[in-house]
Amino acid sequence: MNAHLAASRRRERLRRLPLATVGILVLLFLALPIIVVVPMSFSSAESLRFPPPGLSLRWYEAFFSDPLWLEAALNSLIIGVSSSTLALGLGTLAAYGIVRGTFRGRGALETNFISPMILPPVIIAVALYIFYARIGILGNYLALIAAHVVIAAPYVVLLMTLAIRSFDVRVEQVALTLGASRWQMMTRILMPNLLPNAAAAWLFAFVISFDEVVVTLFVSGTHLTIPKRMFNQLVLQINPTITAIATILIGFSLVAVALAAWLNRGSGFVPKAEGEGH
Amino acid sequence: MTNQTQTSRTASGRYPAGAARAVRPAARRQPSGFVWVLPLLLLVGFVFNLPLLMTAASSLLDQKTGAVTVANFQEVAASKVYLPVVWRTIRIALVVSFACALIGYPLAYWMTGLSRRGQTVALAIIVTSFWVSILVRTYAWIVVLGNSGIVNRFLMSTGLTEKPVEFLYNELGVAIGMINVLLPFMLLPLFAAMLQVDPRLRQIAYTMGASSFQFFWRVFFPLTLPALGATFILISILSLGFYITPAILGGGKVPLIANMLDILINQFPRWNLAAAISLVLLVLTVGLFVAYQRLRRVE
Repeated sequence: MNAHLAASRRRERLRRLPLATVGILVLLFLALPIIVVVPMSFSSAESLRFPPPGLSLRWYEAFFSDPLWLEAALNSLIIGVSSSTLALGLGTLAAYGIVRGTFRGRGALETNFISPMILPPVIIAVALYIFYARIGILGNYLALIAAHVVIAAPYVVLLMTLAIRSFDVRVEQVALTLGASRWQMMTRILMPNLLPNAAAAWLFAFVISFDEVVVTLFVSGTHLTIPKRMFNQLVLQINPTITAIATILIGFSLVAVALAAWLNRGSGFVPKAEGEGH
Repeated sequence: MTNQTQTSRTASGRYPAGAARAVRPAARRQPSGFVWVLPLLLLVGFVFNLPLLMTAASSLLDQKTGAVTVANFQEVAASKVYLPVVWRTIRIALVVSFACALIGYPLAYWMTGLSRRGQTVALAIIVTSFWVSILVRTYAWIVVLGNSGIVNRFLMSTGLTEKPVEFLYNELGVAIGMINVLLPFMLLPLFAAMLQVDPRLRQIAYTMGASSFQFFWRVFFPLTLPALGATFILISILSLGFYITPAILGGGKVPLIANMLDILINQFPRWNLAAAISLVLLVLTVGLFVAYQRLRRVE
């Protein structure tokens, strides 16, 4: 019986071999950009050769000694932190209103808040360009931040509505019954409980803002951000400094997203893998 | 304080605390909570809804005279410049969606049969790729597919070709880059949908004499077809608005709708025409999104 089982398992494995080959090749295709860019950032060569002929940190030095890259990095940080913080504040309040409110049209409102995530960014970029130009705030720093808030807020609204929905409403009711004001209940009961979710939402919003290219290209005027400068350089010429920035960005977004996923674990946002019961 | 609480208790009877009395009945009797959404609504209204409405309005205006006209749409429909770009965008969106389905479905299916650890590794690769900046992922293809890139040096060293194959700055390069960026959007929902298929169905099918081939084509595939359709539409939606990949891997030779919009806004100031084209894109996107929601409900 056992021998028979082992044999059939071997047959099964052999039958799955073509499928496994395809699967591994497709995974390789997905990972290829990362596999290529990271080693090249440590290359000593002037040209983009893979594998790199020698190792050096010259492209990291080139990045950190270029005032324009540093200016872009500073702008990206300022815009990312301010817009994700604003998105978290406004988005959490809105999520609370959508989940616990009783007014009509909450579903439509939720769709409205989430739609900047669904529409192609270029549509938002064109609309904001025309609008900002007409009212004379094209290239304004605060207007750029406002655009980033609108783009990052959908992620906060999505995550926080999920989190608030899974928070037991009776805990809130008990607090209110015991004499807390709604604001006290929010700040002293709800927020401490949802702090991990809020932190995750903030990180997602930050990564979204930090990576945003298209809308920024249209409405930022003369302000540089890291993705904007990367894009401009990529269109013009190939400069290996970009591999260093790319590697920093890869590490940075991975840490941020891993942290966010860990903070938000158990709330159903990260797809859970369940084995097929054999 | 004690006095007040007692008064309120006698007044309302059911609510022990004054503050709660003020909040709870109001929440029951009339709609409440609107004030919480108001700040975001003001911002989104001003920086998203209003600009979109203005774009829609200006697509119906003549740029010089300001008169109401459909000339902008007529120009798009009749043009030898704009219309081919619209068709190319739709064609590439279809090719990319088909390719993603063709390579994404087998990978997702293979993943369902892996051990838990294998699934975690595969998911980690997919999610990593998903979160790495699109600029980085696009950039890498210049190195891989360029004339002196990895693929061409390999092809020439094996003697398969004499001259380097032109992968970049044409539709093929743009499509490869887009497939790489969009594949995770197909894999994650598709894999999730495949895990929903009851594993006992396989045992039942085998017990009743079906081969694994029959089980796949007559049970598993039909059950996951709505999810495949939904993700196909999702990829099409995302493809239609692509800007970065065609700009970098197309080298200006393969403009899609988004790149054309960039030119009409930033190079020739033809805002009203750009508004008309972005409205066409908006209608296409929203139409596809409605279809996507329908299919999700079937799922």
